[in-house]
Amino acid sequence: MMTVEVLLFAGLRELAGRGSLRVRVPAGATPADIWARLPVGGPPPAGLRYAVGGAWADASFPLRDGDQVALITPVSGG
Amino acid sequence: MIALSHAPLDASAVAAAVADGEHGATVVFAGTTRAESAAREVVALEYEAFAEMALDSMRAIAAAVAHRHGARVAIVHRLGRVAVGEDAVVAAASAPHRAAAFAACAEAMNLLKADVPIWKRTIHADGGTRWDDGVAGALTAGG
Repeated sequence: MMTVEVLLFAGLRELAGRGSLRVRVPAGATPADIWARLPVGGPPPAGLRYAVGGAWADASFPLRDGDQVALITPVSGG
Repeated sequence: MIALSHAPLDASAVAAAVADGEHGATVVFAGTTRAESAAREVVALEYEAFAEMALDSMRAIAAAVAHRHGARVAIVHRLGRVAVGEDAVVAAASAPHRAAAFAACAEAMNLLKADVPIWKRTIHADGGTRWDDGVAGALTAGG
């Protein structure tokens, strides 16, 4: 197992009740494995993207222990 | 100039940041909070960012757009509560001639709206709020 830091923003942050949390995932886990470990119900929102260490990453990116994974829901700046 | 700001934006300062003696055209875009959204009265918008990544993304967009159009580009985005009539974002582009300056400013805004991790919550006059992030109504807490 390994531990990754998950960052949440906006409506997802409010739904989860916090902006960051640590989650335990098995070795070889990817960003796609994180959703099921969040304290929210329902499927991932359409258009969900990921950033690892502040850079865009595919859902299949191989995570390492200690990585920071941001869940980026559809953005609405501007 | 690439920045996130909790204080009101100064569009003339953003324009001044792209001033260049070789550039005869400057386009400044200001995105301003409107008083109405989805036929409901709006009192303010509230913006939240993944700040480090947002700044990196804004820098990358400005550099790419500047390179493509031979322009200079500056972008500043507000965070926190932005009242009706205040600017949420100001983007400025300068280039030798106007076609490139218009194109660069428009492209910078299009890329910002697509990819910069910033989110908007609308605060209505009736007290209701809604995040514009594809999550509202789709999920539940504590699942």
